Amino acid sequence: MSTSIYDRIGGAAAVDAAVDIFYRKVLADERISSFFDDVDMDRQRAKQKAFLTFAFGGPNAYSGQDMRSAHAKMNLTEQHFDAVMENLGATLTELGVPAELIGEAAAIALSVKGDIVSR
Amino acid sequence: MLRFEGKDFQLEDGESVLDCLLRHGEQVSSLCRSGACQSCLLRATAGPVPALAQLGLKDAWKQQGFLLSCVCRPQADLALERCDAAMSYATVVNSVTQLAPSVMGVRLARPVDFEFNAGQFVQLSRPGDGLMRPYSIASLPSESELELHVALLANGQMSSWLREAQGKGVSLRGPFGECSYQHGEPDRPLVLAGTGTGLAPLIGVLRTAALHGHRGEISLFHGSPRLSGIYLRGELEALAQSLPALRLFGSLLSGSDDELGAQGRWQFEISPLEQVVFSRYPKFDVHRLFVCGDPSLVKTLKKRAYLAGASLSRIHCDSFAAPHSAVRAPT
Repeated sequence: MSTSIYDRIGGAAAVDAAVDIFYRKVLADERISSFFDDVDMDRQRAKQKAFLTFAFGGPNAYSGQDMRSAHAKMNLTEQHFDAVMENLGATLTELGVPAELIGEAAAIALSVKGDIVSR
Repeated sequence: MLRFEGKDFQLEDGESVLDCLLRHGEQVSSLCRSGACQSCLLRATAGPVPALAQLGLKDAWKQQGFLLSCVCRPQADLALERCDAAMSYATVVNSVTQLAPSVMGVRLARPVDFEFNAGQFVQLSRPGDGLMRPYSIASLPSESELELHVALLANGQMSSWLREAQGKGVSLRGPFGECSYQHGEPDRPLVLAGTGTGLAPLIGVLRTAALHGHRGEISLFHGSPRLSGIYLRGELEALAQSLPALRLFGSLLSGSDDELGAQGRWQFEISPLEQVVFSRYPKFDVHRLFVCGDPSLVKTLKKRAYLAGASLSRIHCDSFAAPHSAVRAPT
């Protein structure tokens, strides 16, 4: 693949637009809102931005180790993970991102499922 | 591994820099321990600084390695130093007046090279033990004094000291925070909400808006248990002379009939602040919001405003964090 989704949807500015929509969706989603209901919304938003940048294949500092340690004590299930994936898809649809790019982002996010869901 | 003033410390899994240093008996000041009050500022001299530990700091400080030690969880070796001396200003308490039964107006001489925007806050420390507390600046930078609003707390160490502090020397650190008027958008609707001395930064924003001839609609919501805690009412009415689109709302827990309803430009009601705000603003879009005061109220308002459509980048908060084990009394 020559260019990442990140570059094709418009880089950092597009992620900024996406993160507001995405965070609003997860915060309003009863299945997962408690995990995102941080005292400090700006810090939480920064984490969402890092996640979206990662899912778009953009420049990021995420590692499998970070993913595991950040989610280790949250006892997350497959249902929680699916809820985040739904919200990610809905966010990108709302922004008019083409279906094949949404599929690529979903595939990247899916690749770290094992680091997030507790087994 | 953590290096601090020439000594090495081992961080436990997931431990913050502040917790690690305190655990080893190091003296580091702190207050909210949630990345808000900036009491625990340290400076990194070597090693990568986690981005989350610098969120909310101004760019110049980020570049110099300043970080909030209470939310700093390093993934690699980090060397740190104190930064007290680097940014401290000495000044004197010019006057102390009573603004409301439990609120004092404290005026300090403005140090000559101290630059700030009205609504930002400072860490004020007293001589002797160096006890430190954050206070917002209500006055404009063009004035020769800094005006702070201090809640008189029953067991407040700093507030009871400040009460008798006229003529005494104090030192300042700062300014901190982003609760200040944004230039270049004179028509944007502004919503300001706060409880108790949360009014101080909001007045700072309003005075700046008046100075710059803000044209957009502005609503100020001030919450207090009783009418006597809605202080500087007359001054705010006067500001409305230069801000014709200013509306003033008071949220009370109790009050007699003759205290409620329209009073000049004010509108008072017995209703929680959150309800007073959202009954008038069920939806937000381009508004800029300023929310200050009680931490749980700030959190609730910010979240509801965000879910009601406000952009996080246009919600400016100042959570008046109490020392993390204590509860701040309502004012």
